[in-house]
Amino acid sequence: MPHEVIMPALGMAQDSGLIVAWHKRPGDAVSEGDVLFEVETDKATMEVEAQTDGFLLQVRRDAGDDVPVGEVIAMIGDSKEDVQAEESPADAPLPADTDLPTGREVIMPALGMAQDSGLIVAWHKAPGDAVAAGDILFEVETDKSTMEVEAGHDGFVAALLAEAGEDAPVGEAIAIISADKPEAPVQRSRKSAPAAAPTAPPAATAPKAAPKAPVPATPPPPARAEVVSEHDRILASPKARRLALEQRLDLNRLVREGYPQPYHVKDLEILRSLPAEAAPGPSSGARRITAQVPSDGFSRFALWAAEQAGLQDDGALLAGLAGASLKSDGAVVAVETPVGTRHYSVPGRQFGDVAETDSGTAVDLVLRDLRSSRIGSVHLGPEDSPVLTVSARGEGFALTLECASHHLTASEAVALLSDFAGRMEQPLRHLL
Amino acid sequence: MREITLSQAVNEALAEEMRRDETVFIIGEDVAEAGTPFKVLSGLVEEFGTARVVDTPIAEPGFMGIAVGAAMTGTRPVVDLMFGDFIYLIMDQLCNQAAKTHYMSGGKLSVPLVLRTNLGATRRSAAQHSQSLHALVAHIPGLKVALPSSAYEAKGLMKTAIRDDNPVVIFEDKLMYQDKAPVPEEEYLIPFGEANVLREGSDITLIGTSSMVQVCQKAAEILGSEGISAEVIDPRTIVPLDEETLLASARKTSRVIVVDEGHQSFGVTGEIASRINEKAFYHLDAPVLRMGAMDVPVPFSPALEDITVPTPESVVENARRLVHGEMIHAA
Amino acid sequence: MSRAKAKKSNVDDYLRMYRQMARIRAFEDNANQLYLSAKMPGLTHMYSGEEAVAVGICEALRVTDKITSTHRGHGHCVAKGAEFKEMFCELLGKEEGYCRGKGGSMHIADQSNGNLGANAIVGGSMGIATGSAFTAKLLGKDDVTVCFFGDGATAQGLWYEVMNMAALWKLPVIYACENNGYSEYTRTDEIAAGSIVARAEAFGIESHQVDGQDVLAVNALTEKLVARARKGEGPFFVELKTYRYHGHHVGDINRDYYRSKDEEKDWKENRDPIIRFRSWLVEQGIANEAEIDAMNAEIADDAKAAVDYALAAKYPDSTEVDMHVYTDVKHALARGDAR
Repeated sequence: MPHEVIMPALGMAQDSGLIVAWHKRPGDAVSEGDVLFEVETDKATMEVEAQTDGFLLQVRRDAGDDVPVGEVIAMIGDSKEDVQAEESPADAPLPADTDLPTGREVIMPALGMAQDSGLIVAWHKAPGDAVAAGDILFEVETDKSTMEVEAGHDGFVAALLAEAGEDAPVGEAIAIISADKPEAPVQRSRKSAPAAAPTAPPAATAPKAAPKAPVPATPPPPARAEVVSEHDRILASPKARRLALEQRLDLNRLVREGYPQPYHVKDLEILRSLPAEAAPGPSSGARRITAQVPSDGFSRFALWAAEQAGLQDDGALLAGLAGASLKSDGAVVAVETPVGTRHYSVPGRQFGDVAETDSGTAVDLVLRDLRSSRIGSVHLGPEDSPVLTVSARGEGFALTLECASHHLTASEAVALLSDFAGRMEQPLRHLL
Repeated sequence: MREITLSQAVNEALAEEMRRDETVFIIGEDVAEAGTPFKVLSGLVEEFGTARVVDTPIAEPGFMGIAVGAAMTGTRPVVDLMFGDFIYLIMDQLCNQAAKTHYMSGGKLSVPLVLRTNLGATRRSAAQHSQSLHALVAHIPGLKVALPSSAYEAKGLMKTAIRDDNPVVIFEDKLMYQDKAPVPEEEYLIPFGEANVLREGSDITLIGTSSMVQVCQKAAEILGSEGISAEVIDPRTIVPLDEETLLASARKTSRVIVVDEGHQSFGVTGEIASRINEKAFYHLDAPVLRMGAMDVPVPFSPALEDITVPTPESVVENARRLVHGEMIHAA
Repeated sequence: MSRAKAKKSNVDDYLRMYRQMARIRAFEDNANQLYLSAKMPGLTHMYSGEEAVAVGICEALRVTDKITSTHRGHGHCVAKGAEFKEMFCELLGKEEGYCRGKGGSMHIADQSNGNLGANAIVGGSMGIATGSAFTAKLLGKDDVTVCFFGDGATAQGLWYEVMNMAALWKLPVIYACENNGYSEYTRTDEIAAGSIVARAEAFGIESHQVDGQDVLAVNALTEKLVARARKGEGPFFVELKTYRYHGHHVGDINRDYYRSKDEEKDWKENRDPIIRFRSWLVEQGIANEAEIDAMNAEIADDAKAAVDYALAAKYPDSTEVDMHVYTDVKHALARGDAR
């Protein structure tokens, strides 16, 4: 199956391409990827590769030709036989235009309001016929109507250059009327016409748009905003975003600190006034990490524990979850609420074993229960013991662990908070 | 400085220009002895005669067409169109002929005419005598459009319009004809395309046209008493539009409301808001709001008509929401 | 042909009238070919057949007198003194056209010869012509303005508004209705009730009818009316019976449904204004056949040279696109807005 080689559309606003050179000759074997020809377009010269393996044949356009995009300029055949088969008709000498009889050209007229071509419905005269200027020469269909076109000149039909049923571009000569009776009137179809430079429509000769800048092979990476939300997109005004970017302020901090969106320029003041976030590393004395969990797990569990197990002290439940997250072999947890502080000893995982103890007992962990307050986020710095703060945020709880670096290593702190977050989310698993 | 009405200011501008240039003439319905229904032209026919203050039949396309031809051949007509609503009647002459002649002739012909007409609702004149149709003509390249906001502006802009070699449409607010303002005795012109910053502010910019400038001024006073500093700007001409001044203010205050009495949809407010959005986006701390007339034909009943146009109170309410960082039209 | 007898002193005028009519025909033949061969963009309307109207009238005008023209306006433009080269350049959208390629066939204006422009709105120039006459009156000049329009435009209301004012104010304007019998693709008797002449007369305007194929008759009448209009006796109305050889526009070639080939043949063979005037010239001994053939050949050469020039001429630079929107702004879009 022969493969068509077409003039490709390469430029940004390209109507045609100039063939600079052929790199293969008719009959040459070609492989996919071989450079077939060079084309100049939009002021750049490009090499066009063969799209398939085979033999180049039927080269219809020569170097130096400016060819409309989409036109078939050659074929690639599967075999030498293809070459023979395809080339044989091309070997037949085509009538050159110089062979046509002389006379007045009859052109496909532009008749419609927006017409590029006309379909010849029928010729009313045959080659050699005598015609008068007012005689109907042919019928043309355009814009859905059929019109009769007069010969326009007196004389004889010396040539009909298109057949009925063919579509001819407006402006193309489709017949020739000679003054004298022609000796050898010509009749042919458009398809058999030698490739002649088509009559350029005005658009084709219009001044070209300014040459386009070449598209770089690898476009530079787009400038990225440094503000990348941890969760959903942050809602902020264009100006607030721009200033944050310029001043290297991280709008995510406002999110982490629980400030309500959308952010405007005035919120950047708050952002600037926030204490510097603890930089990671042993030199830092303080650690602070946060997590967020849905609240329904713990709430349902607390309800169940109160009704089914008689455990009605939320503080004890929290202490149990927190203590077990810190140590599996027993811990003392102080639970702070806005009302006051209670101490619990947490010997293991059983909630039943959690018991209130003296306030004098050394505390391993403080659990600050701010669920009922309006405080959304805390940043209080390390105290004597690690502090786990539970606060309400939206539909869930914000969990914040603050401690000094000597209380817990970074990995211990991460382990503690993620353990505690897991237990808060699914308290039943704590019991397993 | 003496204070005169907007009506007197327009009258003075016309008289001064007619004295200065004998090719200036006025043409329209009841412009001579009647001096128009608004009495803006009273006295001009006495000084300049009926040859230059020309009463026409009630035939708006006809006298508009005559003015276009007269302007093309060496005169400076000032066409008086009794109500802005009648602009629909003269659209072909204004938009197909006057606006395009200079361009279509490759710069060889020009049409130095002024179309004087009016806008403004709340005069209980109902849907065919109350429209503010300046956006319609501002859409057409080749026309300039001026919107005076006071007697001072009306005089200076009219004199500039008459001297301009392009077709200029001036819309006076018909409710402002009796409003007085200080107007100097000595001659002055107000150039086109230079906005007027009436009040400086830092929190929000209120851009108003025509009588909406007063609305913005009143709103700014109320906002000031609440500690919100509003800047008030009058573009004076919407074609050409002084983008620089509007953008500079938008960049400074980062919040903008555009107030205009034309219908809100597809109108002047949308055009100005869009340009600010395109060219000052990264300076905006809030969406640019449009406040135009309701998208309804102007109703007759005072109870209905008064709610169709922006008021100082409605501007204040929107300004507060923007300054307080409220989410506007949050999804 | 009218019974006019050639006066020796008018020989140059007669030859010039013939030349102008032949030039219009040559211009249109070339424009038709340019359009059909897709070398000319847009839409165009041929004046062929109506030459005696434009020439008879414009030969009675001074350069300072004004005309307004129509979508079928090439004839008026040539008759008022325009050059082929600038006209073809305009038709092809070239920079050297009368309007720098911004107007095209339907908007050619040539203010140096008093042509205020063709108008693509049917009846659109009636106000402009009347306003031009208003200027003459206001400024005390004796210019006369001729408003060309077709029978189809008599259906536009604007005409009645401006005729009313022109009559009230006695403006020096002549409304010239080129009645070619067809309003686009419809016979005029199907779109015009009553008499067109009577419509002008209803405003008290002196009205005339004349054979629009007889250049001498048209010219003689116009000379008289122009002289009277200069003295303040206007306005006037003239209905000129004429015929367009082509369809409404180039491309309207199958028009049997609104007019017959026999009718066209009759006008072309028996009432052609150029053939008639040519025989008169020969008959009166003003020119012989050989001289006229030579003139025709020279005109054909001029037209061909102008076409070739226009085809090769340069298009306007793309930077022109926002020029001439306003008189005082070089590039209307330079700042994203008119300034």
